[in-house]
Amino acid sequence: MGKHRIIAIILTGVMTLVIIFTGREFKDMHADIPIFPSDDLAEVKMLSDYFEGLKNTPGDTQVYVFEGEEEGGSVLILGGTHPNEPSSNLTSILFVENLKVDKGRVFVITESNKSAFTHNDPQEGSPHGYYIETASGQRFFKYGSRATNPIHQWPDPDVYVHASSGQQLSGSETRNLNRAYPGREDGTLTEKVAYGITSLINKEQIDLTIDLHEASPEYPVINAMVAHETSADIASFAILEMQFQSIEIALEMSPKNLHGLSHRELGDFTETYPLLMETANPAQGRLRGATSAELIVEGIDPIYEKAGNAGFLFVKFDENGHPLNERVARHTTGIIEIVKAFNCLNSGKEIIIGGIPGYDDMLQQGIGAYLR
Amino acid sequence: MTLIYRLIILLLVTVFIKMLYSEKNIQNQINISLVLIPLVMRLLMIK
Repeated sequence: MGKHRIIAIILTGVMTLVIIFTGREFKDMHADIPIFPSDDLAEVKMLSDYFEGLKNTPGDTQVYVFEGEEEGGSVLILGGTHPNEPSSNLTSILFVENLKVDKGRVFVITESNKSAFTHNDPQEGSPHGYYIETASGQRFFKYGSRATNPIHQWPDPDVYVHASSGQQLSGSETRNLNRAYPGREDGTLTEKVAYGITSLINKEQIDLTIDLHEASPEYPVINAMVAHETSADIASFAILEMQFQSIEIALEMSPKNLHGLSHRELGDFTETYPLLMETANPAQGRLRGATSAELIVEGIDPIYEKAGNAGFLFVKFDENGHPLNERVARHTTGIIEIVKAFNCLNSGKEIIIGGIPGYDDMLQQGIGAYLR
Repeated sequence: MTLIYRLIILLLVTVFIKMLYSEKNIQNQINISLVLIPLVMRLLMIK
């Protein structure tokens, strides 16, 4: 046997070990993480219950349903539209694990784009997840990608044409759930997920839909609530209440010519009041240093601190950064205030919820104190 | 569509493995191995 054949055999062995080792890690991302719902959970449905076309696909996802004793309005909380924006997923899990509903119905999806939780964005160096200390020990949460996994939806076109508007975007946006609304029954997997969510809203007559997001600190639409024109009153009330609590947040109106986004299309194609919230996540920004689980959780980055001091960012950024506790607390408070504002403007259709910690409690105790 | 995609990858993997065993330059053999890792993982639909 020649020298080069021996080297080829050795390299095949090394390659096989690398594939087994890394392959197992990647496969782990396809497993569901445990969630421990509160006692008020009525049932867990699947998105395929609302759109059959999602059954047995990687896009099918759990819908946690909470029902109060009294009839009232209904709210849908969308977590995990973009799994590289962790406060979105974590806020929705916090709601599932703590929520009490006295009146009305609350629907929570923790992994809206479930496929996107099964991989990371290439060349970003992102960890597969991060840990939070809780009373029951350390819990793992996934940090995924902005877009549907290409093993579930391939190929990307050169240009993504949004079906109902004809808007043209770069090809990779075809896997972005928040460019796919209202979705298509016979479209791509991402469009089918969007269609499933739209069907849920229509079938359950959801009054209020809140889509949770994060953005990099240099992105102009940040620490903001984006509202469809039909939701502007609710957003204004909620923002005033948040500002009274010294939480800086701005109102952004949903552009009429930017299509595929939840705050635009769900308002145009359904009867729901759609709202979207953004917090500052340095782990997804372009200026960040090393990408690590610590950066996701602590939100501290010296480069962003410098950029903040130089006035290059759209949020304040000091040595305390923007920890996940703060970002989840912002989203949590935002949801509470949106629901309160909806109640003020929709007498007789109130949604009365409880069990969710306040902003200051979450900053002091940390989110881990409120996860089971 | 996915089946066609995987068949294309299988073809590439086969060609690269053949090259790995016929190549005489060690540097090239290492490069081929590095290229094969993501290809095999995509063939198995892991990543």
